Amino acid sequence: MISKKIAIDVLNESLATGADYAEIFYEDSHSHGVTIENGKVETTSSNSLCGVGLRLLKNNQCVYGYTNDLSKKGLFALASSLSKSFHDERLVTVTKLDMIRCKNRSPIKRSYDDVPVEEKIALIREGIDEINSLNDPRIVRTFGVFGDNYRFVAVFNSKGKWFKRVSEFGRMVFQVIAANQNGFETGFEGPGAQQGIEYFRTEKVNPKKTARKAAETALKMLTAAECPSGKMPVVIGNGWGGVLFHESCGHPLEASAVSKGLSCFSENKIGDYIASPVVSAVDDSTIPNEWGSIDIDDEGNLGTKRLLIKNGKLNDYMIDDLNGRRMNREGNGACRRQNYRYIPTSRMSNTYICNGKNTPEDIIKATKLGLYAVSFNGGSVDPTTGEFNFGCSEAYIIRDGKICEPVKGATLIGKGSEILKKIDMVANDLDLAQGMCGASSGSIRTNVGQPTLRVSEVTVGGRGGELK
Amino acid sequence: MSKYDKFFALAKEAGLEQVELFISESHSLQISLFHGEVDEYKDNNGYSIMARGILNGKCGSANADVWNKEKAAWLVNEIVNNAKVIENDDPIFIFKGSDKYHKVNTFNKELELVSIDQKMKELYTLEKALKEIDPRIVEVAGTEYSQTSEKVTLMNSNGLNLVQKSNYFTFVAQCVAKQGEQTKSGYDFFLDNDFSKFNAQEFAKKIVKITVDQLGGEPCETNKYKAILHPDVVTSLLKAYIGHADAEEVQKHSSLFIDKVGKKIASSKVTIEDKPLTKNVFARWFDDEGVATSNKPIVKNGKLQTYLYNLTTAAKDGVETTGNGFGGGSKRGIGSAFLSLKPGKKSLDELFEMVGNGVYITDVSGLHAGLNPQSGNFSLQSTGFMIENGKKGKPLDLITVGGNLLDIFKDVLEVGNDVTVSPSGVSAESVLIKKIAVSGK
Repeated sequence: MISKKIAIDVLNESLATGADYAEIFYEDSHSHGVTIENGKVETTSSNSLCGVGLRLLKNNQCVYGYTNDLSKKGLFALASSLSKSFHDERLVTVTKLDMIRCKNRSPIKRSYDDVPVEEKIALIREGIDEINSLNDPRIVRTFGVFGDNYRFVAVFNSKGKWFKRVSEFGRMVFQVIAANQNGFETGFEGPGAQQGIEYFRTEKVNPKKTARKAAETALKMLTAAECPSGKMPVVIGNGWGGVLFHESCGHPLEASAVSKGLSCFSENKIGDYIASPVVSAVDDSTIPNEWGSIDIDDEGNLGTKRLLIKNGKLNDYMIDDLNGRRMNREGNGACRRQNYRYIPTSRMSNTYICNGKNTPEDIIKATKLGLYAVSFNGGSVDPTTGEFNFGCSEAYIIRDGKICEPVKGATLIGKGSEILKKIDMVANDLDLAQGMCGASSGSIRTNVGQPTLRVSEVTVGGRGGELK
Repeated sequence: MSKYDKFFALAKEAGLEQVELFISESHSLQISLFHGEVDEYKDNNGYSIMARGILNGKCGSANADVWNKEKAAWLVNEIVNNAKVIENDDPIFIFKGSDKYHKVNTFNKELELVSIDQKMKELYTLEKALKEIDPRIVEVAGTEYSQTSEKVTLMNSNGLNLVQKSNYFTFVAQCVAKQGEQTKSGYDFFLDNDFSKFNAQEFAKKIVKITVDQLGGEPCETNKYKAILHPDVVTSLLKAYIGHADAEEVQKHSSLFIDKVGKKIASSKVTIEDKPLTKNVFARWFDDEGVATSNKPIVKNGKLQTYLYNLTTAAKDGVETTGNGFGGGSKRGIGSAFLSLKPGKKSLDELFEMVGNGVYITDVSGLHAGLNPQSGNFSLQSTGFMIENGKKGKPLDLITVGGNLLDIFKDVLEVGNDVTVSPSGVSAESVLIKKIAVSGK
């Protein structure tokens, strides 16, 4: 850890050539992972990460560097090297550092450092045993992974503030590969939380249930026909279905795209209808123990709940201080990074579409012919155009208001701005699901989420010909 | 005396039979421009160490990014604890060394001498050119230069000590074009270690063309079409396809190439080689296990020649490793430093003529979601053009192409001569295929 005295000296060295803001980001993290493949412990590994990232700002310019040399000499060398980018008189001097205190919303009952590896292995093995109990010869390969991460961060900045943040995460993953004469299919489940190992022993999340779900998906998809293609109504399942909103609408609402005029939801659209009136959406970093929550962001702004879309109207963005400068806005607690090697920027936390008035059953019943996309492998979007693509990992055809045969190989494509306006029914079964989101500041933990909802028309790519 | 001696001594004390360190020391610089100003400037010194060791025949591993006595002790302790719980019985090797290594120079001293001013000058020229070439370009979303030099060292308790130094630079730029209500964006990479090869004007022209050519695009009719795949598209599919030659996937029954060595898996026009000793920035003359690498065909005239092995999978199959042990962790994975699809003789224009009427697919996105690596089935968001009467026609937008990797490579009618090297370490050409399913309107 860096002392406050050294931090003040390093900040002042950084500010000597006219930077208007300087910030030291110190990180000391470690993680552990164990993988069980086909019932045997296959790999275990430990990772330790310790370094300092130094960020200097002047107007809209950002200069960044990192080092693993945490000695006073090493930190000064970094500060001196980075400050050479500017050539003006000193604007800011730091004389003291006051601590920002924030509430710990994600208490941990038992730290992962106190959980023996045998206990993690036993947890995963319970899930693998459950898959094996299905005794299905079509299951050819199983993976179970338990990963945990302890993260200590301390930030010191030239506004005279400092804070520390400790967080712990755990994730349990099951992946099942099933095969028949037609080829291979995969099932995947990976719940996680900012919580101790107790999270994985509940009614909702436990190894048996999670592993069985992964196996069932792989087996179901093995019997699925190729998905038909064309434009059709699509009912999107709750939880993971929210990845579609995350990609097509969440990313374009990050200040990193908005502040540069590179988003399809630019600032002059605040107050405009960008979605159907049945859609409200939030990004909330304050939900206790959730995967994407942060009590305080990487530049010292407290976590908040941001109402992004209110009854269809564009209401707010995820903003960091630097991009906020271009927008004449303050950061709103959304500044994040993977680790000290990345320049932080505005990112999502727990992003979801809010509950509506229908039930999931209402929505299925009201659909004569269409696709029910239960879950996705993931997808991507170009924030400039809003064009997205998503691959379905589990999908069914809806006929006359009933869920019928499973289909595989469905890809949904379209534009975020258009699809949001075509959401015509939203159910009341909101759920969140855990993912890793990659962008310029690295891969970070985010939750996606939504209730079951229907989009009146989406272009579906598949190899099964026309939907009849 | 090496600063790592302490680690080897501690490992011996802890009862580890064999140990190995894989160390990466790097320096990188990254400069990006936005609206004529330096937007981000990043200067980093990176260090990472991957340590692994064998205890009672089981391998444990641990990684860190600082080096001191405490860290050395932590690494040894973690390796021991991790090795203790391993149950896998696969043979594990800390390698003694190959008889001969074919060294390839991947470090260009000249690149280290290029001044910041020269780099900035190219960036400004690039940004200016992107803005000025075509009035339909409404925004330059970013131009970025980055340069990395890296030294990797592999040392182990069997006396092996291998060092490879490399450096390279990249220019990346993205611009946005608008016509009526339609917005399109396009970007490209340039990667090399010879700075004199970069021409900002040419690079800008290429990106602008990629971007504005998409304007006016609309979906085509849903149908099966004869198609030309752009080298970038071929690269994406080729990497997933060759993933099935991974011996571990074969041994664990999840490869599409099981029992296919010596058999025809692709069109006779298809020859795919693993060429880690090609003189370019991707070259690796030893793999992550310390084994000498070699150039070799994986698929020759449509026939599968070999699986790709590391030491463990080779021992299980009773063959020699192919020097493809890449990737970290206690067990090395299997990979390839540089893959190459052998070029044919036809130019792109000749391929267009051969197609007559069909589609030209220039880009696919969302591979991580739309391509199932196990089954080889894919359905991918794509952009491209119609091919009409042997010529490039109107642009295509919001379409998906679907197929199966095995079928695509069986359906190759011709490979072009337009060799294109991608930043992901694949050399590929345009490919003419019999048919591809396109979903449009």
